[in-house]
Amino acid sequence: MRIKRRTFLKGSATAGGGLLASHFLSRQLETLVAQQSGSSPKEDWIPTTCWIGKQDCGMVARRIDGRVVNFYGHPDHPRNRGTLCPKGVAQIMALYDPNRVKTPLIRTNEKGIPGQWRQASWDEALTIVAQKIREVRERDPRLLVWQKGRSKAKPFYDEAFVKASGATKLTHGAFCSDAAYRASEYTIGLSGGLHPDFRYTQFVLAWGWNLTAAGGNRLCWITWPQQLIQAKERGMKLVAIDPRLRGAGHFADEWLPIRPATDLALALALCQQLIARDTIDRAYLSQYTNAPFLVGEDGFFLRHHGKELVWDMASNAPRPYDAPGIVPALEGEYLVDGRSAKPAFQLFREHVAQYTPEWAAEICGVPAEAIERLAQELGENARIGSTIVIDGIEVPYRPVAIMTYHVAQQELGFQAVRAMLLIMMLLGAIGAAGGQRIDLGPWKLHENFEKLDKIQIKDPPYNIYLKDSPYFPINSNSSAIVAKVMQNPDKYGVDYIPEVIIIHMCNPLAAFASTPDLFEGYKKFKFVVVIDAWLSTTADLFADVVLPAAVLEKYEGPAAASDQYLDATALRLPVMEPLFQSRGEIEIYLDLCEKAGILYGPGGYLDQVNKALHLSDEHRLPLDRKPTVREIFDRWAKSAGISEGVAYFEKYGVKVAGPIPPKKFYGYVTDPPFGGVRHRLYGESLLRYQRDMQQRGVDTSYWRDYTPFPTWRKPTMEESPPTYDLYLISYKLIEHKQSRSAQIPLLAELAPRAWLDINPRTARERGIQDGDEVWVESHNALTGETRRVRIVARYREGIRPDTVAIPHHFGEAVRHPWAAANGAAANSLFFTGEGYVANTSDQSFHVKVRVYK
Amino acid sequence: MARYAMVIDLDRCTGCRACMMACKVENNTPQANFWMYVFRFEEGHYPNTHIWFMPRPCMHCDNPPCAKVCPVGARYKRVDGLVATDWDRCIGCRYCEVACPYGVNYFNWKKPSKNYYLDWQAKDVQEVTGGAVPPYRNPDLDQPYGAERRRTAGGGRLKGVIEKCTFCVHRVERGQKPACVQNCPLFALHFGDLDDPNSTVSQLLRRKPSFRLLEELGTEPRVYYVGGHPPSSESHQIEEVRVRV
Repeated sequence: MRIKRRTFLKGSATAGGGLLASHFLSRQLETLVAQQSGSSPKEDWIPTTCWIGKQDCGMVARRIDGRVVNFYGHPDHPRNRGTLCPKGVAQIMALYDPNRVKTPLIRTNEKGIPGQWRQASWDEALTIVAQKIREVRERDPRLLVWQKGRSKAKPFYDEAFVKASGATKLTHGAFCSDAAYRASEYTIGLSGGLHPDFRYTQFVLAWGWNLTAAGGNRLCWITWPQQLIQAKERGMKLVAIDPRLRGAGHFADEWLPIRPATDLALALALCQQLIARDTIDRAYLSQYTNAPFLVGEDGFFLRHHGKELVWDMASNAPRPYDAPGIVPALEGEYLVDGRSAKPAFQLFREHVAQYTPEWAAEICGVPAEAIERLAQELGENARIGSTIVIDGIEVPYRPVAIMTYHVAQQELGFQAVRAMLLIMMLLGAIGAAGGQRIDLGPWKLHENFEKLDKIQIKDPPYNIYLKDSPYFPINSNSSAIVAKVMQNPDKYGVDYIPEVIIIHMCNPLAAFASTPDLFEGYKKFKFVVVIDAWLSTTADLFADVVLPAAVLEKYEGPAAASDQYLDATALRLPVMEPLFQSRGEIEIYLDLCEKAGILYGPGGYLDQVNKALHLSDEHRLPLDRKPTVREIFDRWAKSAGISEGVAYFEKYGVKVAGPIPPKKFYGYVTDPPFGGVRHRLYGESLLRYQRDMQQRGVDTSYWRDYTPFPTWRKPTMEESPPTYDLYLISYKLIEHKQSRSAQIPLLAELAPRAWLDINPRTARERGIQDGDEVWVESHNALTGETRRVRIVARYREGIRPDTVAIPHHFGEAVRHPWAAANGAAANSLFFTGEGYVANTSDQSFHVKVRVYK
Repeated sequence: MARYAMVIDLDRCTGCRACMMACKVENNTPQANFWMYVFRFEEGHYPNTHIWFMPRPCMHCDNPPCAKVCPVGARYKRVDGLVATDWDRCIGCRYCEVACPYGVNYFNWKKPSKNYYLDWQAKDVQEVTGGAVPPYRNPDLDQPYGAERRRTAGGGRLKGVIEKCTFCVHRVERGQKPACVQNCPLFALHFGDLDDPNSTVSQLLRRKPSFRLLEELGTEPRVYYVGGHPPSSESHQIEEVRVRV
């Protein structure tokens, strides 16, 4: 195949910046292909998609006589533009790793200890699994659970299996950043954390953004740093708000080392300051948010015929919020039918008045002057009232934004991110040019904007993750909570314990927090199937059957390929035949469903695949014949209007539809603006849930954060005794991805084992030298339980003296010579349940610890 | 004839070490060998801390101390500026390693085929790789390069020879950039001809102040840094790679 530089790249604005363009225009891969060596080996190039990372970067595999010798970044892929991160390059070793699971395995020893196995044929293994599925489905479909790690590409085959089998689905987001997703969905109606419109932004708060080392909202690494550096080179300022400097590195113009878990306090103080300085966008607040809605003394909106009322300053009377020609009041107190009511904004102003910079300084460990200056800079840079013209469209211009993501996973995470969004709402920066973005691609309203507002808390029994329960009305589906429930279902109003779980490319016992709880919970499953390429800790301890998955030798997709400005799609294509006896996942599900009797006919797997891929009538899979995986993608491509079908991707790898026009991109100028909704400054339904939860008698800890405005309280961990004098936080490394990579030797060589970041001052006080082994002991403030690990301490000047940090990825997540003895797992120190989950069931990655030799 | 040089823009480096990986896979270097190495530095004391990153390939000096001490002419300076190692000729005396002030030479203490991280001899792996070690063995490395047609590309050749960064001679002679440069996600690494005023390297050196490492030694490196400062005794290395040999 011959990679061609596609002409659409010329139109891409991201090609701005001479150096980047020149790198691009060098057409390196093209040259490389053109000048392939004249020697006899057959050389070819297969475009595909990275398997290891989250953002599905485009790659091209160079093959010699069918053997892959290298992966290069796909030059036309918008997300990585001809480059790969260290993981992307190193995954070549994962491909050939002789320590992969080579055949289906069946356990021969007891569970809960490292497994002993016998090899089995696919037929035998799938027959056993299918029988179990049949058996439990006949008794009660709730007994079947299906769990997957972060979905690679569009989760259509996942969805199809879950729907066809009736399984309860467990996800991973409660250990990732789902608290931010819920906050954004609820407040703005878009699904995601927070990121800037890098093309135009001038001032960014990197709020816990691990920009040099891993993350960023929606994408994993390459795209954001590329866009950030271009923005920096045209003068954007970056303020890092983070207990550790390492993530921001030298890209931070200013570092505010905030005390862990106090982000909400800082955000509220910034809101207070913006209002006090009157740098607020009243036009936006009046027109596009519920800030003018009148709130009665009971905390609920005043309504007339179901419509929320505002105070119209023109007629000096209450009017429906959408009545034409009105001038809604944001401030004041009004009498409506003899009862007092205030606009939500007035209430917010009163609510945040207490949150002064001096107050926050005490809590956050950030000087009050710095908070005031930050608010001033936010206000000035927001240029409230200004507009710019983009592609002929006039768009409000508010070049300030926040990048925040994993930091959402804290006890007050949902409200902390809500408060960050409120900062951006006060500035009118949501959906503005240079302003706050949430989802990738077009401004698209998420169904959860309505759903999270209209939750009906039900009477028991509940399902295993407590959906629609008074514990977590907004619910991010946490496996640690499932583990708690599995240990004591009665306590939570759950009347069953599921028996069979299929765990697909997920390693909850290593990758999720509160390992001891997960161990006890997963022990309760009677039959565990793991689909994985390596023998994960979860498989090793609990699997009855392990099914070997291929890594890059399979079809998967379709994968979004947008860098946020270009609309693009790609596929993962097999770079060679599956190694050993491994198989691609879709193939596994086709065979498994056939054996379980849920493949064919209406409602079967094939039918569900048709639905999940939204295949047009003429391209639907027939429901009586098992297709090849390639055929599925061929039908999808044709149904999506790509007449060449999957062959297009086999040739080019990525389909770039083109730039997303401003009218689809910027919330202010979509039709209707912001999808026609009012952003929720005031969370009326949160109050409704709180009242309902109180009535149902659940513990205070569950309902206290269901407040209409984000409200500060001390995190539960602060109740630990003073001997636990340090905060433990965790973070990701650029060399690794969750528990997916610790066994890849090239990466394990770069980052071989866990360590503890500790400020030298803190260390010396405890007689700890750089490189000493120490104990880190965590404490549960509510139960008194302690957990400890042994780990090497490393001096770091870039961390708060009251904070220590451990990178994830380690703790022998898989049984592998290169993962052996690689140190402690941060996840085994965190707790779950009351005090250590957010009100949305999102896991907290904060705990108080003591460190000693 | 081109005058090749590398320019490293420290303003752009995020210290991700993707260049190190690209080098290792492209050049098939054995375990514990890092022809390209990225330092991660911390300076100052909390809260006035500064963190920065510095990639360090071979400097391909114009006055290479390593070539001067080589008793057999295995280490030599090519006319285009590349400092090459002819592993057919190397006798493993390690004089170059001692002479080099930059620490970029790696001696093959082990038989390279036994030093590629994992045992690739398993039958089911060999069925796929045809016995190639490492399984991603790059055939381009086997060709002779330069006017002198000497075998100077890639790594993992013999036990008892010295290997180091070749500026990816096998790629440069095909008109491509070194693997580290091609792969840098932040476009912090640049490679080109100093005699071409329009090359990216020439443009960058005109636009930004630059320095070279240990310039005072008179080695005349062909690797230039822009956008930062040289490391000093205040630069404390963090997250160092600790190799298992």
